[in-house]
Amino acid sequence: MNKFASIVLWGALAVVGAFAFAALALGRGESVNAAWLVTAALSVYFIAYRFYGKFIAERVLQLDDTRQTPAERHNDGMDYVPTNKWVLYGHHFAAIAGAGPLVGPVLAAQMGYLPGTLWILAGVVVAGAVQDFIVLFASVRRDGKSLGEMIKMELGPVPGSLALVGVLAIMIIILAVLSLVVVKALTASPWGLFTIAATVPIALLMGVYMRIVRPGRVGEASLFGVVLLLASIILGKTVANDPTWGPAFSLTGTQLAWTLILYGAIASSLPVWLMLAPRDYLSTFLKIGTVVALAIGIYVVAPPLSMPQTTRFIDGSGPVFSGTLFPFLFITIACGAVSGFHALISSGTTPKMVERESHMRLIGFGGMLAESFVAIMALSAACVLDPGIYFAMNAPAAVIGTTAANAAQVISGWGFTITPQMIDQTAANIGETTILSRAGGAPTLAVGMAQILAQALGGKTLEAFWYHFAILFEALFILTAVDAGTRVGRFMIQDMLGHVYRPLGNTRFLPANLLGTGLCVAAWGYFLYQGVVDPLGGINTLWQLFGVGNQMLAGIALLLCTSVLVKMKRERYVWVTLVPTAWLLITTLTAGIQKIFHSDPRIGFIALARKFSDAAAQGTVLAPAKSIAEMQRVAFNNYLDAVVCAFFVVLVLAMCVFAAKICMQALRQTQPTAVETPVLARIQGVRV
Amino acid sequence: MKTIPGLKGAEAPLPATDAQRSGALRARLVRVGRAAREAYLQMFGIPDYERYAAHMAAHHPSDPLLSRREFFARSIDRKYCRNGPRCC
Repeated sequence: MNKFASIVLWGALAVVGAFAFAALALGRGESVNAAWLVTAALSVYFIAYRFYGKFIAERVLQLDDTRQTPAERHNDGMDYVPTNKWVLYGHHFAAIAGAGPLVGPVLAAQMGYLPGTLWILAGVVVAGAVQDFIVLFASVRRDGKSLGEMIKMELGPVPGSLALVGVLAIMIIILAVLSLVVVKALTASPWGLFTIAATVPIALLMGVYMRIVRPGRVGEASLFGVVLLLASIILGKTVANDPTWGPAFSLTGTQLAWTLILYGAIASSLPVWLMLAPRDYLSTFLKIGTVVALAIGIYVVAPPLSMPQTTRFIDGSGPVFSGTLFPFLFITIACGAVSGFHALISSGTTPKMVERESHMRLIGFGGMLAESFVAIMALSAACVLDPGIYFAMNAPAAVIGTTAANAAQVISGWGFTITPQMIDQTAANIGETTILSRAGGAPTLAVGMAQILAQALGGKTLEAFWYHFAILFEALFILTAVDAGTRVGRFMIQDMLGHVYRPLGNTRFLPANLLGTGLCVAAWGYFLYQGVVDPLGGINTLWQLFGVGNQMLAGIALLLCTSVLVKMKRERYVWVTLVPTAWLLITTLTAGIQKIFHSDPRIGFIALARKFSDAAAQGTVLAPAKSIAEMQRVAFNNYLDAVVCAFFVVLVLAMCVFAAKICMQALRQTQPTAVETPVLARIQGVRV
Repeated sequence: MKTIPGLKGAEAPLPATDAQRSGALRARLVRVGRAAREAYLQMFGIPDYERYAAHMAAHHPSDPLLSRREFFARSIDRKYCRNGPRCC
């Protein structure tokens, strides 16, 4: 009977999913409702979790609840704590979900909603969830070791060190691109800048409260923190309209870039309790709250998707990012489908809190499905917008100009009819002076969210409030990431410098700390500044560089997973990790090589660098540069980007060779050779 | 749970007094509240001093116990200082 009920239930879910997909794929000519998109995604997630997740847990990994987990073995009431699986699911989700799943899908929406949706869904089931799950598994079986340590243990010391250098490089690019998203969102937006700036004193206040006034009372501090945040959004409107304060909070892109660089240097040098911890709590509350609100909002409002299924820009001529659907869609949407960064989280705090091995299916596989759902919602929110508005917000000024009239004319010429009045009206609705060329995903998503949330709650009058709420929500956790990332980058740099000259590796030696912080901030600050002044938009270059790096890291993590499976003598199931590894390598190597060598200057770094340096040599100034010096800078920056990209390509190829060698060796052995922590059986029924 | 009061006299519990009932209810509410609090702290990654103190009392009663302030300081420092990068 139970089995019968299960067949009926899962059969019904499959039918619902198929129906939703049919609505998405067949609805030609008429607009499709966003609720279908979300329904199709949810059915895929449930079915994948029930069948594929279970298959991996029981057959491939053979999770064993009689083995003690690190949380039980080392239970200390602080770091290692056996945690309820649903609670840990929430915790893990909050740790993996960042700006990534919000930005990538919004950029990819230029190709229409269908390509992005299909990649997010197929990618998460075949690659992303598998990677997160198996890395978590490997870490739990190795006492909660980190990705770098596991690569060292299983593949050898050289690949271990290589992977660390790769992680540092990717992190620098991530910090730069995330800061660039904030700059694009806050340029000439006094309301937005005021609310973001207000988070600094609010976080300091909370930090002092939690440390000195009432030690450890996070709940009380967070409560007044959230209230003050909401108050700052309301006050922001008054500030923006004030004749003196309005212009004071209205900064240009370069001013904002310097502010952020300075902020990163100072914030990452303060004690963690003063700003990082309180801000992290605030951003986690806001993140979970907003994601839930958006999910409910999409179902309540059920807005139609205005973006077509596919647009003409799948041919590679898109204004948001250039390059054809294959391979560039697969590196533009990284988080949400598969993200290498998750391998670092899945081997961080989470494995130290897993109570039973079987819980890892929900936490690792299920956690990634939830992140994918966030990506689907971001894509829906972007596609709910009028396509004309979408392109006005995301195409660079070099393409659409700087006035609403000009932008409307160019965009209408692409076949997306829009009037200058519509552009101005949208800006007025959200309380901003302009929406043109606010690339980077965050503002587009904020407008989409504002329209959805305003329809569900508050109507037109609250649209500006919701817009700034959404910007605050995104900027808050980006700034937390900048702060935390700079700290981690400093430790990694100091670790490397310590091998060259020992005192530089000492984290208690102030000059060495300052040097480490300075180098880290200078590195991401350079790429940020370059992106801000890049007349072609910056996001166009940096996001793709990030995509290549992040997917390469995913490839490395999956190579580790593959080696672990082979070394466990479970090579029968090696296709589970080998298929996604192969796909990631094919797409990212193609993208990486195209980014370096493609003859079209809009795609290839070297081609663009040549174009500018050749013209500079002949003394001609190419638009949008304004002087020969500027031309030479564009050329230099593109050569630099080509070098970074080449580094990622070489790194992943080297890891491939190392992993293949290890796998060959392991295949010849008759016994498992994986380096797991020895089994310690749990006493049945006893909770430690 | 399956015994029906009054049907099998010996197994049937005595009818509870109002005071007992409200006492049991309160104990249950306290339990639920404590679990909810713990879940909320763990989900947001907030250090939980009560859990730590209970763990120390149960497993290492002779070891020195950190004060709330020290515990909080140490947990936060450890969480953010060397714990690897956060997500994109």
